[in-house]
Amino acid sequence: MSSDLERRYRRVLRLLPGWYRAQWEEDMVAAFLDGWLTGDPEADEYITRAAGPGWAEAASVAGLAARLYLGGASTPRRYFAWGQAIRRTVLAVTLVQATRGLDVLVRTAWSRQVFGWLPAPPAGIAPGSPGGILPPTVWYLVAYAWIVSFVLLVLRHYRAAQVIAALAIVPDLVWLVQGQLTGALPPTSFGPWAFWVLINLAPVLGMAAFHRDAPPVPRWPWLLALPVNYLLVAVPLLALQVTGHSAWLPDFSGVYCILVALACLAHAPRAWSRQADGSGVWSLTLTLLAANAGAYRIFSLTDYLHDPHLIKVGLAELLILVAAVALVAPDAARSQAAAPAPPLYPHPG
Amino acid sequence: MTVRPMTGQAFFVLTALADGPRHGYGIVGEVAGLSGGRVKLKIGGLYGVLDRLAAEGLIEPDREEAHDGRLRRYYRLTRDGRRALAEEAELRAATARVVRARLGLAGAEAAG
Repeated sequence: MSSDLERRYRRVLRLLPGWYRAQWEEDMVAAFLDGWLTGDPEADEYITRAAGPGWAEAASVAGLAARLYLGGASTPRRYFAWGQAIRRTVLAVTLVQATRGLDVLVRTAWSRQVFGWLPAPPAGIAPGSPGGILPPTVWYLVAYAWIVSFVLLVLRHYRAAQVIAALAIVPDLVWLVQGQLTGALPPTSFGPWAFWVLINLAPVLGMAAFHRDAPPVPRWPWLLALPVNYLLVAVPLLALQVTGHSAWLPDFSGVYCILVALACLAHAPRAWSRQADGSGVWSLTLTLLAANAGAYRIFSLTDYLHDPHLIKVGLAELLILVAAVALVAPDAARSQAAAPAPPLYPHPG
Repeated sequence: MTVRPMTGQAFFVLTALADGPRHGYGIVGEVAGLSGGRVKLKIGGLYGVLDRLAAEGLIEPDREEAHDGRLRRYYRLTRDGRRALAEEAELRAATARVVRARLGLAGAEAAG
């Protein structure tokens, strides 16, 4: 007959995936109870009524659950696919942040005429600061911190990357809270908060998926992605700005939606071929990125409630994104089709 | 293939199994003893290490025994586990020798 203590511990173990519980739960319960029970019936009766798994014990199970759900190489296919897709999504969003950081770096250097071979800096090239109580230097550091965080993530210094990214999102939060308290941010404007949650906080939390059992990040493709992304995305946008065509520029959310839509279109032939090895995880990655970009687009539309034209542009971007992600979504769904859990080792016989 | 470094917890768990099979809580107690109380494994942490070591083929189940109406599963080192532990111990001993030498403790050790 199970005791209250055992029931309480089994409740905590429900955090773990079913396939893992089927394999380890009884063993974990036995080990847990061994740690509490003394063999003295009177003492044990009191313990089983009064004791329970503490916070540290529950945290250790939660940590194990996170590692299993954000699967490593030895987890079932569905968890592995989700783990890989989350890791790639985090890398992609961190790449976007790092590209923004590189853009700030180049604009700052150009505005201070560090590049002697470039023409005189046009007006408005210097990166602006959002104001508030924090000095501009902090915003420069935030931008550069994302470059450092991205590079560290690719070089597999996962915890250092997470700590730096976590520090980098603090000034934005300070700015948001200050804006909300002082009324500088309109109460109907959800865009800045959505940016903080979806583009700042989400990748920081998602970096937990880079654990010991996760396959290593392929270094060179991701390291090269930073300058390539800068040249292909940030430079054309900068060129439009300095040539006086700013009116053509979509906002950050619009650029993000269009980029994800283009990536979906580029990946669609692989997703439809079905033979392409590992295409499903990329399809799932792009679906997650589309969800992130789409959610940000929707919330950031609240910043344009005064301008119906901008609302229409934003909705068009959203429509393009939805149409593009529909091409890869079926492949994403196939990628996580549950496969039976692989036995870690044969049962003792 | 990249060889992943062994974590401190995995090293202690393998060491706890070096002189014979143990069950889950037996490993927790042995690790606490080996580390002078510095490493206190929680059950979630222990099974995170055990399943990883099992997946890597360094430990395997030995037997199950009934105890107070519950089954205790015992684990033992595999041959690969024994070899991996010996290599890790050698690596750590070599590192410790370098550290002691750089701290000027090598002479004291020899004299002692």
